[in-house]
Amino acid sequence: MIPLPIRQAGPVESPFNAEQQGRFDAGLQRAIAKYPPERGKAALLAALHLVQDELGWLPEPAMAYVALRLDVPPARVREVATFYTMYRLRPVGRHHIGICNSVSCWAMGSEKLLARCEDMLGIHPGETTEDGHFSLEEVACLAACGNAPAMLLNNFTFVESVTEDSLKQLIRELREQPGKAMAPGPLPRMPDPHAHIEKQSDPQATGTLGMPAVATHPEAGTTGRDR
Amino acid sequence: MTGPRILTKDWDKPSGWSMETYRQGGGYQALEKALKMQPQQIVDEVVKSNLRGRGGAGFPTGMKWNFVRKETSFPKYLVVNADEGEPGTFKDREILLRSPHLFIEGLIIGCFAIECHLTYVYCRGEFRDSAMARLDQAIEEARAAGYIGKNILGSGYDLEVHAVFGAGAYICGEETALLESLEGRKGYPRLKPPFPANVGGGLFKQPTAVNNVETLANLPVIVTIGGDEFSRIGLVPKNGGTRLFAVSGHVKKTGVFEAPMGITFQALLDQYCGGMREGSTLKGIIPGGSSSAIMTAAEADWASDFDTLKAKKTMAGSGAVIYLDQSVNMAHALANVMRFYAHESCGQCTPCREGTAWLSRLLDKIVAGKGEKQDVDNVHQIARQMEMKTICALADGAAMPAKSFIEKFRADFDALVRG
Repeated sequence: MIPLPIRQAGPVESPFNAEQQGRFDAGLQRAIAKYPPERGKAALLAALHLVQDELGWLPEPAMAYVALRLDVPPARVREVATFYTMYRLRPVGRHHIGICNSVSCWAMGSEKLLARCEDMLGIHPGETTEDGHFSLEEVACLAACGNAPAMLLNNFTFVESVTEDSLKQLIRELREQPGKAMAPGPLPRMPDPHAHIEKQSDPQATGTLGMPAVATHPEAGTTGRDR
Repeated sequence: MTGPRILTKDWDKPSGWSMETYRQGGGYQALEKALKMQPQQIVDEVVKSNLRGRGGAGFPTGMKWNFVRKETSFPKYLVVNADEGEPGTFKDREILLRSPHLFIEGLIIGCFAIECHLTYVYCRGEFRDSAMARLDQAIEEARAAGYIGKNILGSGYDLEVHAVFGAGAYICGEETALLESLEGRKGYPRLKPPFPANVGGGLFKQPTAVNNVETLANLPVIVTIGGDEFSRIGLVPKNGGTRLFAVSGHVKKTGVFEAPMGITFQALLDQYCGGMREGSTLKGIIPGGSSSAIMTAAEADWASDFDTLKAKKTMAGSGAVIYLDQSVNMAHALANVMRFYAHESCGQCTPCREGTAWLSRLLDKIVAGKGEKQDVDNVHQIARQMEMKTICALADGAAMPAKSFIEKFRADFDALVRG
């Protein structure tokens, strides 16, 4: 289960300052206008992206605000926000690095690249550096397999044909740049709720499909790489 | 390079993606021709062309459009699947970046053919600032030129085109999950029937054709040269045209290559990719994205079309070909593939949610050197039990590699386990 803070009872308020509000309103209007008149609720994914553009992640009051603006139940906003991996349920680093771990990148050395990145930043996937400058995650296939291994910066910027040297250079450059501001939230260095499948149910507990439950070692269920 | 270049003809030109380049090469003339035809005539040409869906299933495009045309309920929608995410696949991104107008012209022709006046291009979220930005710019150019909007080229036909984007979920490449996402919900695939083409199954419950980017990019040439001529470009029957093969892995030259449908994997490797990289020997081929069953090096002479590969118990899928060399232990490769499916299973159906996670844990145990022979057998058996038991094909897409990697490369697994 993903622990999310519960919003305090009371009126729903906008999480934005005036400048952010203007951009959000204009963006939301454009997103809703793409759909037929009575189908504005379909703009929910776009609305959450707009929140994240402004605040860096999706604080609970902002989700409540989106629910109010689109007239959808708050539970549905939460359902969507927790389903898709690009939405951040906690603040991430001001530079968020995603390293593709899917098969083409894996075949071209993405595991080594991830390990080097962990060393350079001193964090594991799903974590944020103490100063909040960097965060790291593994991402699924980016559709850049011809230039493997590939990376994704801050959700939208592709970095391709990455080598250890080019990664080192990139991190050096990013250290000097302020990056994306994050709205205040839970302390950094929290595990990313999307982080991994290990959180799924224990094999012992799921003797489904008519198969005997798998004997588990204490280590079974961890990924191959030492954490 | 060999074979005709239909989809990639502008790729080597400077600013090949621009409206100017596209029109210099005869761009948007097919649209002018199409708008003077009857919509059903266009669909008939597409049926004759043997154009098959390039997203993965290889469904005949003309037949799909006829299903939509048979419905009497309006509005009808055409939704484009640009949620490219099958591991190994990167051709749609290249089309959007390098030939957006070719795709847009095909899209407009497709919409006209099924009498749709509002269409959505659903891009994966990660494309927002790159491929989708390029597409958005091209849509605006096409609108300014009178190809999109009211009364297109004086034909009386109206069409509005919108690009929207997702938020990171492989499952949204499944057509009904995509429609759910497009409607603003989490991407849970829908139970079929009703199919998207029918009332009750499509976007906002209206009849809807869901087509891949590459599929639509073939429309201008089909209208120009005719369905029969297009069909003959393919090297095997019932597989018309060329295909964009997205090649990755241990070859000299990776990238997107346009080759006739039905080219063999050996020819693709030798004639387009320059062979395996220095010091490499081919060990295995993933022929159509990571959901397809793996092939051995000895099977490289198989043709790459939908029907041949289906008969060989694998699939042409999305055209993503991954050549792997002797440095790869296939148990490790499968463990990697399975982590992906366990992560991307949407969780709706138990056999998939539990099965993929279970397979992933077993394979991680095997590659950590803690597995037993029985674990390998269990992987195979669990995979078999996941097939054909779920709402969508994700579980089958996980089971196919699981079974085939073990069947064809058992020694790699046995080398890692006890007993």
